[in-house]
Amino acid sequence: MEAPKEAAADAVPSTSTAAAGAQEPQQPQRVVASHPPPPPPQRSALAARDRYNHQSLGASLNSLVKHARVLMVGAGGIGCELLKNLVLTGFGEIHIVDLDTIDLSNLNRQFLFRHEHIKKSKALVAKEAAQRFNPNVKIVAHHANIKDLEFSVPWFRDFKIVFNALDNLDARRHVNKMCLAADVPLIESGTTGFNGQVQVIKKGLTACYDCTPKDTPKSFPICTIRSTPSQPIHCIVWGKSYLLNEIFGVSEDDFDHSADADNAHEIEELKKESEALKQIREAIGTPKFPKLLFDKVFNADIERLRSAEDMWKSRRAPEALKYDDVMARASQLLESKDAILADGQRIWSLEENLVVFNDSLDRLSKRLLQMRATKGASAPEPTITFDKDDDDTLDFVASSANIRSTIFGIDLKSRFDIKQMAGNIIPAIATTNAIVAGLCVLQSFKVLKGEYGQAKEVFLTPFANARLLAPDRNREPNPDCPVCGVYYTSVIADLNRATLEDIVEGLVKNQFGYGDKEFAVSTDVGIVYDPDETDNLEKKLTELGIKGGSFLTITDEDDELVDVKIDIQDGVLDGQKESFRPVHAGRPEIPQKPQKASPVETDGSSHGQPNGKHSLGEEVVEAPRGAKRPPPDDEKPPLKKAKVVSSDDDVVVVEDAGGAIVIDD
Amino acid sequence: MDTQPNNGISDAAAAPIPNTNGGVPGLNPDLAVPTSIPPMMMPGQGFIPDQSLATTALPDASSTAPFMFSNGNGNGALPDKAITADEIALYDRQIRLWGMAAQAKIQNANILLITIRALANEIAKNLVLAGVGSLTVLDSAAVSEADLGAQFLLSEVDNPVGMNRAEAASAALRKLNPRVRVHVDAEGVKAKGPSYFGAFDVVIATDLDPDSFNLINTATRLNGKAFYAAGTHGMYGFIFSDLIEHDYVIERDLGNVATQPRQETRTRSIVNVQTTKEGPKTVESVTKRELYSTWFLASDVAGLPDEYAKSRRRLRSVTPALSCLRALWEFMQIQGGRLPGTREDLKLFTQIATHKHKALNLPSETLRPEFLRSFLQNLGSEIAPVTAILGGQLAQDVINVLGQKQQPIQNMVIFDGTTMEAPMYPLHPEGTLGANLLSTGGGVVDPLTAAAAAAAAPPPPPNGSSAMVVPPEMTSMGLDASPGMVVPPLHPATAAAALAQTQGMSMGVDLTAPSTSAAMMAPVAATQPPSDASAQQVSAQTTASSAVPTTSSAAETQAQAQGSTSNNATDASPQTNTMSTQ
Repeated sequence: MEAPKEAAADAVPSTSTAAAGAQEPQQPQRVVASHPPPPPPQRSALAARDRYNHQSLGASLNSLVKHARVLMVGAGGIGCELLKNLVLTGFGEIHIVDLDTIDLSNLNRQFLFRHEHIKKSKALVAKEAAQRFNPNVKIVAHHANIKDLEFSVPWFRDFKIVFNALDNLDARRHVNKMCLAADVPLIESGTTGFNGQVQVIKKGLTACYDCTPKDTPKSFPICTIRSTPSQPIHCIVWGKSYLLNEIFGVSEDDFDHSADADNAHEIEELKKESEALKQIREAIGTPKFPKLLFDKVFNADIERLRSAEDMWKSRRAPEALKYDDVMARASQLLESKDAILADGQRIWSLEENLVVFNDSLDRLSKRLLQMRATKGASAPEPTITFDKDDDDTLDFVASSANIRSTIFGIDLKSRFDIKQMAGNIIPAIATTNAIVAGLCVLQSFKVLKGEYGQAKEVFLTPFANARLLAPDRNREPNPDCPVCGVYYTSVIADLNRATLEDIVEGLVKNQFGYGDKEFAVSTDVGIVYDPDETDNLEKKLTELGIKGGSFLTITDEDDELVDVKIDIQDGVLDGQKESFRPVHAGRPEIPQKPQKASPVETDGSSHGQPNGKHSLGEEVVEAPRGAKRPPPDDEKPPLKKAKVVSSDDDVVVVEDAGGAIVIDD
Repeated sequence: MDTQPNNGISDAAAAPIPNTNGGVPGLNPDLAVPTSIPPMMMPGQGFIPDQSLATTALPDASSTAPFMFSNGNGNGALPDKAITADEIALYDRQIRLWGMAAQAKIQNANILLITIRALANEIAKNLVLAGVGSLTVLDSAAVSEADLGAQFLLSEVDNPVGMNRAEAASAALRKLNPRVRVHVDAEGVKAKGPSYFGAFDVVIATDLDPDSFNLINTATRLNGKAFYAAGTHGMYGFIFSDLIEHDYVIERDLGNVATQPRQETRTRSIVNVQTTKEGPKTVESVTKRELYSTWFLASDVAGLPDEYAKSRRRLRSVTPALSCLRALWEFMQIQGGRLPGTREDLKLFTQIATHKHKALNLPSETLRPEFLRSFLQNLGSEIAPVTAILGGQLAQDVINVLGQKQQPIQNMVIFDGTTMEAPMYPLHPEGTLGANLLSTGGGVVDPLTAAAAAAAAPPPPPNGSSAMVVPPEMTSMGLDASPGMVVPPLHPATAAAALAQTQGMSMGVDLTAPSTSAAMMAPVAATQPPSDASAQQVSAQTTASSAVPTTSSAAETQAQAQGSTSNNATDASPQTNTMSTQ
């Protein structure tokens, strides 16, 4: 449930609520913060309550548990179950990080939450609810984004184990990287419907989250969406990503159509269509608007498409609709409008869809005009974007998708189904989460004992013949993995003084011993230094956008040494000659790159990834960077320079290239 | 309500039985006891809290026993209560997984959960979240300090220690989902007569001794209800299910070759295939049926399936936890339900475990001392991660069974938290499975009745011919109270009474006296073809199971006897309730 996806919209300041002393400093200045173990609980009270843990875990493991300080990222479906298990098992100190707030549709499985908690912070409510399970455990809640800089590498390093209970790829990859950098074992888990899995990620011993490439979001060629749809999803994407945006969203066309060279002519036509639509947009709020829009997109555009006869040689040609014809039949349905709208399970007829189309158009138009009327003079033009929980947008997308489906002879869908397809809703149930969360704790026992060989990669195998769980041997790390196949180190830098040259000369050449080697230095944004790119050397790190918590990547141009990822920690080094200081003294032993000959085949991968492993979790996975959505503030688009691709962890998917409209599912 | 056709099953299962008069049981005016509440069912007992429940529970066969003998069309008429828009919003993420029809069935289901320790906390949480119609929690124990360790439902109450455990847990359950009717029954399960269980669609018994499981399972068989037994011991645990016969419908796109009705496994068959056109594609609705056997058989005498016997590798892979659990169950039967504790106990337990391991044809080297030690160390314990896993699996299976759209558990899952393995073994006796195992002719017949009926008839003479044995109900309810020795065959009715007495569980009827209905049964039962000689050795269920290991050959014989029995009795199925009111 961790939701960096909404970082921009929901930027709520971190509010640590916990017992005294739990408030973490905002800036990661604690280089080595040694947290004392929680005070020993009163033996008498603890003994009876903890009797079974003591019995089944044995004294030594139970003691490790009682003194373990652990982090749980995400307090949603898996998180609620996992927190319960961690608290009952008696982990000494448990930190929870979650940005999300509670929604009605969470309540069927996130059992720490109740109706009265809707819209409240998941992390805070989960802490309150779970604390009652065991007073001997210290719980610290952070209503915050795990990607915030305050959650630095040193902060991660102070945990014995990190548990991921996330629902999105982006946050998973971030925590994966941080745990590798901090060398803290990570227990990664995910569920989709009846399926689920748990794996243990330990640097150097087991495969990390990024050792196997994850499926990229499914995308559709622009022409499939705009000209030749053949499935309901094509029409839904058209309604959601094209029509709704053209009318109520950002009006400029930012699709890259260049890739479809074969369809150059068609692309040109599509651009003209969009232009014409912008004219119609001017009529928003006027009585003629619905008819204008309908006859444009469901008649004129269709007739134009149909005239391109080549396109329909092997396809059913679309049949344009006339607003007045359909309206004539639909007019008698107007009085049952409310009944139609109330029935989202049934598939509406064409006429019913028109009733909904007109009504939702009316609702959205009024909203937009209202927003325009009340906006400040300097505020940007207001827009309405798709939100599966915004009935106005959902009704509009559902009805326009269905009308388009009628035209192309595609199955219509109920609003209930369209909500799922348009909103990327992943089915989620309490039981799967409970099972997976139980497995996470069993895995943590192996980790605490250091028995990584005993930890397994466990898959749920619902409805299989002979077993309900499939524990597999852990996969080996992939030596070519761009995330765990690198060398991590931390450097404290006085950001007010340190220049790139200090890093290049003083740190890399001198201290790391690169000497005369040719190498490149890159940030999240791209390359800032290589032998041919020396302009930045005199700049201060801050001028290059480097902050405490940023990573610098050193790439050996001779391809001999593995990449080095330097975690930059902001520190004041007044009165010292150097503007930086490695956290670990001495010259690091940077490993050689592995032989390229045989990329290690992952063993035990017979199960593959269960559905949606990359987007596991139980909620909605929004497109990480939808076609028309600007990237979050803290992520700049990557430079498309081949050599730095491997240096970054979550920007490789540039899915708005190639004229594709993206929907991840 | 108890006089209503509370099995509902006979309707759907009536096919082989002529003259069932629409399958309404209790149709014989002499047998029916109209409208009165049986004495054992006190008004405040909780499982019939209001009239609406009474009406929702038993409108017709299809909704009272949706999981059994179903009409082969799992997505037929929805149960009585429609799902509201609010409920669709609340249950959105699960409806998207199992659909509206299954959700409606879940919301109309009445569940009984017996013993609420940590495992049942998880089961209850999951079922209440899913939105079952009602959950009745039955437990007579008081909350102890140790209960607080993993029973998170207790935290809703300020000072739960000393309170009734069901009562203490119910507060949290009610808050968890106010739409679910949560009832508390603080009586002991042993005070319940068989008819008590008829009011529920699913009966889940947790953390009990094997004899209690056996008795409850017998009662669920009488009532034609789904039964689950489950328990955990620290890192270890199990789930057993007896759905009697369960139909479910798998929907899938029609492949190149249409599915044909056939036997898929020993227990599973495809009984019906329908195709429907949905837009451009054709969908196949494949009705499958799973057959089950009872706790008594699966927990001890039944061997592993044939495919194991043929494969050394598979035998080696069988978890030793199965042998240890069987040994534990036997130990508890011999020792009055207690767990091994003393040095002597451990020695005895080890002996039994070794024997059970051998009886399963498992190689001796897979039962290692370290494993035995670990297993014994965990006895009686309960820890959150394990109860979460097993409670999740069990609750999900209940939900799947109610929804009738997924393959259910068949029939024993053994969990080992140290290896994170959860193998599933279909443990069945030879011969007939399903409803015919313990009842007659497909209709649900009270074994007690039949046993009593048999008592009224002359004992079947020995017969050298092979197939047939005495009606299974006779053997099934028999019992020998003296552990450790094989006793001569008991008169079945006496055995049944002995069973009831030994278990301290009132079955609500004096079994030694043939009842009216039993008398009705007598001629039918008496006409059963007597069978092979081995059947005559068969005395009683518990004889076999409580005997020390050396008697297992007798047990196996008995299992065979039971399994190979088939019955053709009776169209006048006497009802449990009739019995229980006497």
